[in-house]
Amino acid sequence: VCAPEWPEKGEEWSDGEDGTEMDCGLLQAMAEEDEEINVYNEETFGMDLDSHGTTDGHGDDLQFGKPSPPTAPPDPKPPSPRRVPSPPRQKPQYLPRTAPGHPGRFRGQRGGLGRGQMFEDPAVMRIVEGRPSLKVTKMHLFIMHAPMAPGSPVFSRQPLTPRQLYNQTGGFMFPPNRPCPSTPQPLTPKMMQLRFGANSPRPSPFYSPSSNPVQHLRYPGPVTQLHPQHKRLLSQKQHIKSEGWDPYCNLMTGKEKEWIIRLQMIQLQSENPYLEDYYYQEYYRRKEAKMAEEELGIRSKREPPKLTTPYITKTDSYTPVVHIEGSLGQVAVSTCYSPRRAIGAVHAEQKDTRQQRLEILSKIEKLFIVLLEVEETERMKTTVLSEAEEKRFMEKSQRKVAHIYSQLQDSGGEFLPFLLVSKGKKLVARLLPFLQRDSALKVLCIVTSNLPTLMSRDSDEALPVLYPPLRNVISGLTFSQLISLLKDLTSSESLTTYECLTLACQNKFGLSLLYALLSHGEKLLSSGVPLEPSIGDFETWTDVIFQVAGQLSQCSLVEPLLLPSNLLTLFCRYLDKRTVHQLKSNMESATGFLALPS
Amino acid sequence: MNYVPGTASLIDDIDKKHLVLLRDGRTLIGYLRSIDQFANLVFHQTVERIHVGKKFGDIPRGIFIVRGENVVLLGEIDVEKPCDTVLQQVSIEEILEEQRLQQQTKQETEKVKMQVLKDRGLSIPKADNLDEY
Repeated sequence: VCAPEWPEKGEEWSDGEDGTEMDCGLLQAMAEEDEEINVYNEETFGMDLDSHGTTDGHGDDLQFGKPSPPTAPPDPKPPSPRRVPSPPRQKPQYLPRTAPGHPGRFRGQRGGLGRGQMFEDPAVMRIVEGRPSLKVTKMHLFIMHAPMAPGSPVFSRQPLTPRQLYNQTGGFMFPPNRPCPSTPQPLTPKMMQLRFGANSPRPSPFYSPSSNPVQHLRYPGPVTQLHPQHKRLLSQKQHIKSEGWDPYCNLMTGKEKEWIIRLQMIQLQSENPYLEDYYYQEYYRRKEAKMAEEELGIRSKREPPKLTTPYITKTDSYTPVVHIEGSLGQVAVSTCYSPRRAIGAVHAEQKDTRQQRLEILSKIEKLFIVLLEVEETERMKTTVLSEAEEKRFMEKSQRKVAHIYSQLQDSGGEFLPFLLVSKGKKLVARLLPFLQRDSALKVLCIVTSNLPTLMSRDSDEALPVLYPPLRNVISGLTFSQLISLLKDLTSSESLTTYECLTLACQNKFGLSLLYALLSHGEKLLSSGVPLEPSIGDFETWTDVIFQVAGQLSQCSLVEPLLLPSNLLTLFCRYLDKRTVHQLKSNMESATGFLALPS
Repeated sequence: MNYVPGTASLIDDIDKKHLVLLRDGRTLIGYLRSIDQFANLVFHQTVERIHVGKKFGDIPRGIFIVRGENVVLLGEIDVEKPCDTVLQQVSIEEILEEQRLQQQTKQETEKVKMQVLKDRGLSIPKADNLDEY
């Protein structure tokens, strides 16, 4: 009759009236299911299982023999010989609390498939020994599709305590044949899936145990990885010895920790880490740069950082929740496609200054987003792109730049409202390198002509951020352009030249800008390149020189952002020795540096 | 040091003594032994600490498993740091008694308040019923 053989509790099997019939029917179902399991396993893993034989020297705890063919249903294999060497593990992990009068049925090796209905006592928990059927769910894990790096240890190994062996039951994964991660194996995606889970196959005994779960977190293929410096710091931290021995420590095995870390990292995968995880990337980039600087001793030009984050092709379809094999519950995928619903902002049409400022700020924010994209494209140029792609990117960038520029211009006021806000200054400063020559020149014009206003309303002292890009623009000016700028600078509508210059001298940015302009003029004059000046240019030039010289020698100067070295040469050309000397001392006292190494 | 860039992780907190505040107001202190991806926590040698005024009492609870969503905050306890607190430890019975009294007075005042509001035709929903905002 179809009574299942249970070595230990044989006598507890009772025969209720329908017991036997149920037994037979259920066993039949069980047998069929086993058949299905076998088929599945064959398909997935191939028939390399040493099904009826010995456990091999790997100590491969999870290798199970196939149960006997279903044609002989009442013969589930006795658990002991073929299985795990350590006896305590064989104790079924369930507690069959059979209520009095209810017969309990134990699946044993048949696999815990949650056959709730076969247990009349709902208190009997499901048995998880045996091979559960594995659901292969679609995962957004790109780890699947990449070959495993040969020789990379995937899992750390720890000395197994009996308790840990005990741990291995419960939702474990069926291992593929003889997992030996040191040898490269062609892993099918399905196989890869099954390596996850807290109870994935243990590596072979010749691995040295390591308590650092992260060291072995080597994802095969293109996956977001930790920055190498980060990894190094982590491994360093591991070596810190902790005092005192905690007898309960490491209840959570390294494997389990890895599992969690992996799970969390999966959610962090990104195809554009510089955009989505900016602060982390930036932090390590700066650290690296600092270290490199210290090592080299010189401030060499920073190369674009080589990130270990390759690009991942994201799937176009988006699932809000992902079920990861081996874990209970679902994991929310954080994407930009489903952000939290924003509070519907209502735009009021008030024209008070605070509102205006907010409007400007909001515009700046929007433009910044576009600018970030442009900068990102610029950064990506360092990677190898095909000709056509590069061209396409450049066109796109240019369009975006043009968009930002026109936006800045159009909001009645021609840049000025934006420049009055410190964030706007930053935006313009970062935009300038991307602008065409004449657009950049226009910006420079605006700045110089409105210099007094800008200086007076620069409470955050954000103007200096504009200095470097503007300096670059200046260095490309023609003489006539330079002269017109100088004219703008010195002739404001409400202020005299004297006042303009005084103001400029009192302001770091203003003074630096002035110096830069003069320096460029001197460079042009002394370079011997034909200047093609317009009428009156030279007069204006000399006028400005005298005015500036007068100003500089008299009033107290602030320290400029940069003191060009050819200024005194310029002044020597036009002024007498005494004035030059006075200028020199005045300028030097402001900076503390020599104006000219003469 | 964080294993997981850009996020928080409890991996480094394992096997350390922690204090956790739960959503129902309980305070538990214990050794964090295990976690999972939902921040479900397994505490070992857990002690539930009840505070009433300047007194507190510890109830030993053994092993606790806390579902992640019920955690308000969780922090490591530095066992080496000297503890100079004004709090006074009392026995379990005493602290439970104190707690009961506290609850009682609270309920009474609440009752009075509700009555007063009711008289004026107002009603304020109780905060613990609101789970969303």
